[in-house]
Amino acid sequence: MDAPQLAFKERAAAALADGALKIAIDRTTGNAERKRAAAVAAFPEFEAARARGKAIKDHVIAHLDHYLEMFERNATAAGAQVHWAADDAEARAIVTRICLDARAKLVTRSKSMLGEEIGLPHALADAGIERVETDLAEHIIQLAGERPSHIVWPAMHRTREQVAQLFKVGHVPPPAAEDPATMVQSARRELRAKFLGADIGISGANFLVADTGATCTVTNEGNAELTTTPPRVHIVTAGIEKLVPSTAHAFALLRLLVRSATGGEMTQYTTFHHGPRREGDADGPEEMHIVLVDNGRTRMLGDEFRAMLRCIRCGACMNHCVVYRQIGGHAYGGTYPGPMGAVLTPVLDGLAQSRDLAHACTMNGRCAEVCPVGIPLPTLLRAWRTRSWRERLEPGSLRVGLGLWAMVARRPRLYRLASRIGVRALRLMGRRGWVRSLPLAKGWTAYRDMPRPAGRTFMEQYRAEQAGRRAPE
Amino acid sequence: MTSRERIFAAIRDSLGPRRAAPQAIAAEAAVLLENPQATRPRLAAPDLAEAFALKAKALGTTIDHVPDMAGVPAALRRYLDAQGLPPALALQPAAELAVLNWEGIATHPSLAPDEPVGLGLALWGIAESGSLVIHSGADNPVLLAFLPLHHVVVLRRDRLLPHLEDYAAAVQGAHPPRNAILITGPSGTTDIEGSYVRGAHGPGFLHVLLVGS
Repeated sequence: MDAPQLAFKERAAAALADGALKIAIDRTTGNAERKRAAAVAAFPEFEAARARGKAIKDHVIAHLDHYLEMFERNATAAGAQVHWAADDAEARAIVTRICLDARAKLVTRSKSMLGEEIGLPHALADAGIERVETDLAEHIIQLAGERPSHIVWPAMHRTREQVAQLFKVGHVPPPAAEDPATMVQSARRELRAKFLGADIGISGANFLVADTGATCTVTNEGNAELTTTPPRVHIVTAGIEKLVPSTAHAFALLRLLVRSATGGEMTQYTTFHHGPRREGDADGPEEMHIVLVDNGRTRMLGDEFRAMLRCIRCGACMNHCVVYRQIGGHAYGGTYPGPMGAVLTPVLDGLAQSRDLAHACTMNGRCAEVCPVGIPLPTLLRAWRTRSWRERLEPGSLRVGLGLWAMVARRPRLYRLASRIGVRALRLMGRRGWVRSLPLAKGWTAYRDMPRPAGRTFMEQYRAEQAGRRAPE
Repeated sequence: MTSRERIFAAIRDSLGPRRAAPQAIAAEAAVLLENPQATRPRLAAPDLAEAFALKAKALGTTIDHVPDMAGVPAALRRYLDAQGLPPALALQPAAELAVLNWEGIATHPSLAPDEPVGLGLALWGIAESGSLVIHSGADNPVLLAFLPLHHVVVLRRDRLLPHLEDYAAAVQGAHPPRNAILITGPSGTTDIEGSYVRGAHGPGFLHVLLVGS
């Protein structure tokens, strides 16, 4: 994975200055928001379904070891080989070794955020294996040499004109026109030969079904099945939190996932993959490998971020986030953007590198309102702020400033004196009802004016009022 | 210590030593599926076939009603003619389809990379979502549902189930196939500026022959 070169503030500033990006973000997130609202309105049982979805995830998390053992047993019985990776490096090593053992030259991949999280694209490149992304959006960003900017629409930051440019160079022959239909046809033709010529297909999993040992993928394009069926080997990479007890439990979560992600009711293709090709089967891979990845998840199980393990990766939180909708996904700098990304990135990349993300939140709570499994995202972001303070990661000026304020705030007389002085000083700085610039807060006043305060503090006015009432007695 | 052992040790460390018995966990999981009507959408119509058709059509699936299995080849011919396609197709090697009279239609069992038309049999239809269920096997290649541009699916009315859970119950305890696939509408994408385009990788056309009266 590329290390972000710039600090969060610089990346955010660059994103804010990009007019085309803003249009692209508005288009996709606005659509997603409207469609989700319509899907929820058409499903009066949504609230009850959400409570159940949350309870299912909490149940699995509370018995994670039990369900992992059950899944491993059943997947193995179905002929799959289950591997365990403690972290991203181990997951990369396992997948690369399977590819090299199979003497793979060409690998097709069906979109998986876990694959991005563990840095699979670079690992395959380092091993000299050609990787072809088959999800249309992943295909676009592979041609652009970029990372996903959204967990459901990875190429949402690209306009159709930019996609046309990429396809013109990347497709042989290039698409005949620039409308989306012609470009999708071009990608279909371009990728068909790759699907059928691949040695290995790699997918993620939306669910791991414990009682059957199946992995479940959902796609709208059909690229998962075309990725996992023709090659000799199918590799699944999945986080250990993806477990559900049974197929019926998966369906309960699927109803929430699709409505929250795209506003649809079902994805076009919902597929349960259960081991490799059976004797006599008309098609399918000879080997199936499932790589179960921890990478910080067991740590979350034991701390204040346990609720984040409920996440089913629908993307609703980012579609409804006022910050994401201004800066897009790349500015976050991690694998996962938006509110869920701001919670997960410090787990994956360390808090010291990503403490700005929790501070960039406005705490308006919209993410938690739309989360289909009731994750209290603002509470978790506040928990990162608290940790950042405790671990002394906040800059010295902030620590001194807040320390000073805390000292004054704990002494009422001093506080009143300070506010009496402050109010009068602010009045002196104000012109025509507004304060245009404040020392030590230039960043704040660069974009805003502050109203010139009243002549006296609240306590002064309150005392005068009380004195006035007593006077007639 | 292997990574597997490390992961399990970390989980047990976090969850604590007092753990529920497997039977108690199973009972808790079963409670989470009780009273399913409270947490799932109602059917679009009281009649299963009508509900299925309403949902399927909303997603761009087309439906033709066929009185019995013997009428399938003629209904297929109607579809091919309407689409301006020659009378040829990849046919799923299923006994139920093989016994039909395909005179005048050239059927083949193999699949070309750009196969124009494939015809297969759905095991179930789900009224809640307008989904078709297929299982891979010796008589059903997965690619039959993905390589053709036109996917024609035969679904018997008596194989309609109301809800997704009813499918889960129907296969409960049976040995699962390599792939169990729920198909809900033709392949589509919204990856370029959110505009919806059909036939992204899978079939651009999904046509259901609903058999029975």
